[in-house]
Amino acid sequence: MGILRSIGQAAGHVEGPAKVTGRARYSADVTLPGMLWGKTLRSPFPHARIVSIDVAAARALPGVHAVVTAADLPEVRIGRFLRDIPVLALEHVRFIGEKVAAVAAETPEAAEDAVRLIEVEYEELPAVFDPLEAMGAEAPRLHEHAERYEHPPVPPIGGDSKFHPFTNVCSQNLFRRGDLKLGFADAARTFEHSFFVPPVHQGYIEPHACAAAIASDGKIDIWISNKAPFIARRQLALAFGVEEDRVRVNSTSIGGDFGGKGSLMDCALCYFLARASGRPVKMVMNYTEELTAGNPRHSASITFRTGVTSDGRITAHQAKLIFNCGAYGAFIPLHFVHGGMHAASGPYRIPHMEIEALRVYTNTVPRGHYRAPGAPQTAFAIESHMDMIARELSIDPLEFRLRNVLIDGDESPMGERWQHIRCRETLMAAAEAAAWNSPKPPNVGHGIGMYERATGAFGTSGATLTVDADSTLTLVTGAADTGTGSFTVLGQMVAEELQAPLGEVVVLQGDTDTAEWEDGAGGSRLTHMAGQATLVAAREVKSALIALAARRLDCAPEQVAMRERRFIASDGRELDWESFLSWAAEHAALPLTRAGSYVAGHPVEVTCYSAQVAEVEVDRETGQVRLRKIVTAHDVGTIINPLTHQGQIEGGLIQGIGQAMTEHLQVRDGAVTTAHLGDYKLPTAMDIPELSTVLVESPTGPGPFAGKAIGEMSNVTPPAAIANAVCDAVGVRLMDLPVTAEKVYAGLRAMEKRR
Amino acid sequence: MRKIQLRVNGETIAREVPDQRLLVDFLRYDLGLTGTKEGCSVGVCGACTVLLDGQPVSSCLALVAMAEGCEVTTIEGLAQGDRLHPLQQAFIEYGGFQCGICTPGQIMASKALLDANPHPTRDQIREWMMGNLCRCTGYYKIIESIQAAAEGKTGS
Repeated sequence: MGILRSIGQAAGHVEGPAKVTGRARYSADVTLPGMLWGKTLRSPFPHARIVSIDVAAARALPGVHAVVTAADLPEVRIGRFLRDIPVLALEHVRFIGEKVAAVAAETPEAAEDAVRLIEVEYEELPAVFDPLEAMGAEAPRLHEHAERYEHPPVPPIGGDSKFHPFTNVCSQNLFRRGDLKLGFADAARTFEHSFFVPPVHQGYIEPHACAAAIASDGKIDIWISNKAPFIARRQLALAFGVEEDRVRVNSTSIGGDFGGKGSLMDCALCYFLARASGRPVKMVMNYTEELTAGNPRHSASITFRTGVTSDGRITAHQAKLIFNCGAYGAFIPLHFVHGGMHAASGPYRIPHMEIEALRVYTNTVPRGHYRAPGAPQTAFAIESHMDMIARELSIDPLEFRLRNVLIDGDESPMGERWQHIRCRETLMAAAEAAAWNSPKPPNVGHGIGMYERATGAFGTSGATLTVDADSTLTLVTGAADTGTGSFTVLGQMVAEELQAPLGEVVVLQGDTDTAEWEDGAGGSRLTHMAGQATLVAAREVKSALIALAARRLDCAPEQVAMRERRFIASDGRELDWESFLSWAAEHAALPLTRAGSYVAGHPVEVTCYSAQVAEVEVDRETGQVRLRKIVTAHDVGTIINPLTHQGQIEGGLIQGIGQAMTEHLQVRDGAVTTAHLGDYKLPTAMDIPELSTVLVESPTGPGPFAGKAIGEMSNVTPPAAIANAVCDAVGVRLMDLPVTAEKVYAGLRAMEKRR
Repeated sequence: MRKIQLRVNGETIAREVPDQRLLVDFLRYDLGLTGTKEGCSVGVCGACTVLLDGQPVSSCLALVAMAEGCEVTTIEGLAQGDRLHPLQQAFIEYGGFQCGICTPGQIMASKALLDANPHPTRDQIREWMMGNLCRCTGYYKIIESIQAAAEGKTGS
């Protein structure tokens, strides 16, 4: 492999100069000749039948070039897997904020004026907002013919259901291990607790934006804030009813994703407006639209029943997870909230287990994916539950976990046979950094949260690498860099493999016509999968360079090695890089391009653990919780770039703290009432605690250079760690999020009354 | 409509604009200076921060009419040719941005800070930057970047 020189470098982002000067182009920055502005009319009702729509006045407004309703569009539904979302409401609206009609006009102001002139007559229908009520026999049905959708809601996998699969149940999954009855029979005590986690928003600062242009030859050009351009192209082609190669998704910078930018959002509609108007159209959501009609995290009602022996060993664990998916289920690329199921057992040794997970339709904003989908909800619940059990058994919460966490050689409750398990080590490292056993001042408490997730290994990735005569190495990827620094780490891999200085590597995002297929960002896969594809391309390039050098040195390629950027023949003759480049250029061998692709193979054998300890101080008078410090310990592999790696840890952590303490997308009677960023409280620079990061290193990861995933770890357990710390500090146990002063105050007063 | 004259990044601009034209729209759409970003549109997130006679303002809340006769500085006006401003350099070297959407606003707000207070404490930085939301970095590296720029610790 040669001397490591780029791997491990704390290199700044390769797109740094573009991003700090304002040159980076995001979707909302796209301007096209003759471009119009698209705006939408949204439903004011959570559930209604559309009786009539009158667009005549809107159409007559000067500057308006198109007004469309569902009647003007082909009857298509869109989605990431299940396809249940109409481009514009078809007969029914199912949530407040659903798109009913759209306008394309010469200015945003004209488009907004035209939207206001559209008259819609609705017949209101009974609505249901609570998923438990929605599963009842009397509940209004949201989707009468869900079975007709592409990839329709599935009957329960692995078991029976007392619910009709299509009565507002969008998906139902059952996982069983061992024999629950036996497990509970082995238990000395059984504990049951229920938790609720409200919805939160991804909070990216860039609202969804897109633009569409149709060329005279029928080619459709798209600009979209989407983390996976090739997957977006596939969804668009399905929506438009054209072959995929008719659609080109162009490269743009993404202003934050966190899982929320995998859908088309307005983009199919944008195309239909372009088609109706004959002009390019751009659509930019405002932040109120984002909060009220985006795709926030699923809210969850979670119940656990766990049996333990008298010395605190888990014998049985039963979980019921009910995720509210809102009015449509198609904002996620699977049927079910996989990460929620996976997190329901925690990183514990459990012989007998049953997990049931449901997604349920309600007349509320549709829910989507957000950084470690399903996991923060479930981790808050499971880690609170474990703490409660430990306290009931008078066992220290750390000790209780140490008795139950997986160790090397164990099989996980989900049946995985992980190698090199670093769960206990990570937990111990966090506890040590937090001085777990040291005395604490009054009203100060410590709380633990633990999580496990594997490096993403699915789909296909591609990369194209070119060597130019001026020594530049240009990597073209079909991935979008959502901000994580993917382009930088891919560039570092190229530099490493070809023994080049990082400054000579250029990383470009290709459009979907020029780049190799790439499944894109998501599920902590990109550094791994795109990295592997990059290495394939780099190795192909290296072989080709060696073959050329062998020609120059007049020997067989097998007799030439590339070391420190010099070609060395077995007889000792050498060819330096500069001489090689000029010779190769003279012989028309440069530029030289090779493509690489990597397809996910067998499941990864090594996973990743994290353990966090929060330290809070609670004001007994007001209930105010101050997060004094947080320790975040991570089981990591080889770190490709310490700067971006730590950036993932810190950014995720503060998102998790936001979910724990300030963020709550409040929904009342189906209406999101925290409808702007003044009401929906994202953490600010004043809200960050003292941070201690601990890296438990073992270069055993499945990724290139033995790296492991980091992007979806630190955000998962702050809610659990903070809630557990509050209980440790003052004895108040919160069963729902966020941890607010009001709830803690109420808990303190209730405790006083009981005394 | 009204006639407006102002200076943007040192250049005198005279335009006729609707009375209600927001400064952010004027910059982005009338002048094509899309480096200034719009996030929340209600003056909370700070992505649209520009300097108006050296003072940071949310351009999503300011009418362009308010900038009559003023000097507006946007992110495009910071670097001198290829030479980045020390804050821009620091944000790259110290990981002060990830997706970059809030970065123009962060840099303009921090420039106003360092212009007013060239050696701020960590707490002064946190307090000043409270009006600029970032969802990617968790702020630690933004604070480090500003400190590094203030201390002249940039320049590779």
